[in-house]
Amino acid sequence: MNHLETLLVWLTVTFEAVLCGFVFVRKTQRTLPFFAAYASTVLVSTVTVWIVYEATGFRSVPSYFCYWIQLLLNAGMRSLAIAELCRYKLRAYQGIWGLVWRVLIGISSLFLLNAALDAWGQPNRLSIYSLTLDRDLDIASVAILAALLLIHNYYGLSLEPLQRTIAGGICLICGIDVVGNTIVGNFFAGYLFPYFTANPNSVASSVIRLYARINDFWSTIHLLFFMGAMGIWCYALRKPLPEPTEAPVLLPAEVYRELSPAINLRLSAFNDRLVGLLKP
Amino acid sequence: MMNELSIVILLAIALFGVLLWILIPRNKSSKSPVTAYSPDLNEALPTAKHYGYFPQIRQALSLTDARYLVETAPSHVAKQALRERRAIARRFLEGLHEDFSNLSRLGRIIAALSPEVSSEQETERLVLSLKFQFLYALVLLRLSTGNLPLQQLEHLTGLVGRLATRMDEAMAQISALSTGQIPGRLRA
Repeated sequence: MNHLETLLVWLTVTFEAVLCGFVFVRKTQRTLPFFAAYASTVLVSTVTVWIVYEATGFRSVPSYFCYWIQLLLNAGMRSLAIAELCRYKLRAYQGIWGLVWRVLIGISSLFLLNAALDAWGQPNRLSIYSLTLDRDLDIASVAILAALLLIHNYYGLSLEPLQRTIAGGICLICGIDVVGNTIVGNFFAGYLFPYFTANPNSVASSVIRLYARINDFWSTIHLLFFMGAMGIWCYALRKPLPEPTEAPVLLPAEVYRELSPAINLRLSAFNDRLVGLLKP
Repeated sequence: MMNELSIVILLAIALFGVLLWILIPRNKSSKSPVTAYSPDLNEALPTAKHYGYFPQIRQALSLTDARYLVETAPSHVAKQALRERRAIARRFLEGLHEDFSNLSRLGRIIAALSPEVSSEQETERLVLSLKFQFLYALVLLRLSTGNLPLQQLEHLTGLVGRLATRMDEAMAQISALSTGQIPGRLRA
């Protein structure tokens, strides 16, 4: 590793350690256990990968497997943290939660199916498989969080500041990873890269060097945004967490059963009148 | 390769845009989070206030007034007056849109605070709201071009007014129900 890479790794580990510290000092694990587990996994996996790099070398087989496995592990833990965010506030609103979880499961299934199909079609290499799966999981994560926030907005609910910040940070990381993984993944899985690696010559070596530069650039960008997201989370956790809000007082079920169809009927009549206005 | 990349980048930018739009804090007084139905909500949700000004708007936009203006006033004054009347009608229509939005929001609040909701009802309301936005834009466009008869606007206002009155009654009943004051059937 060069000086810049060493500095970035140190900074990343420091940010992750500070985040873990904040998470456990503020006892976030009581309200958001999967987010706490995600923060811990990120720290442990970064340290593990670093130790493996130092012990076996940057380009060794153990380093290769260790890196790609931790990438999938982090993506999996992040998905659990997102699922937790979805459930956190909405479960108190029994009616819409009963509706929303089906919508979110539907969106997740679609994206996960796309991820599986996308990854299935790639050459049988752990790196390409992981990159594709990671990128599609990132897209799914952003889409699910966007859907979640839209649903909150639609029903006049609001996420608490910490949860909103966590959602924003995850979106930041996922958005950048989508772009980065697409560029790197396309280069890996492109027609020319396997050809050049199989037939080494002067052109191939320059292409591979170019790829290495692109990869390094995106790794740096990724780490900077990752640290930015952790900084946002640390900032949100700087103060003690407020007491959990009380469960909402729900209306009797008959209110919705009787009023909702009536409201929809009136809204429909209103639209019919608007259509009437537009007729010549 | 580039097509896929472009699509993914555009998707990421679009999703970021949506996220930023949602995450940017808005004026709290206009949209406070729903935790319970309280009588205060009646004040936070002015169900329909603009339709009440329709008689004045009707007078200002009446054909008789317009004819009188054209016949007696200098042409540039008459044109100016008609332009201003159209602007007033447009603002009035915007007010009706606000009334509709408040009434629609009431429906969503009731859904949020219900122990069970129907997916059909919720989907229908979402589609109706989207349809309304589209139709409203078209009506506004027609009004801007001076091609919307006053009589039709009057029908529209009457509809919102009746809806608002019923919603006011329904809100009062919900308010009472939520505090356990009255049992029984509701009418909207």
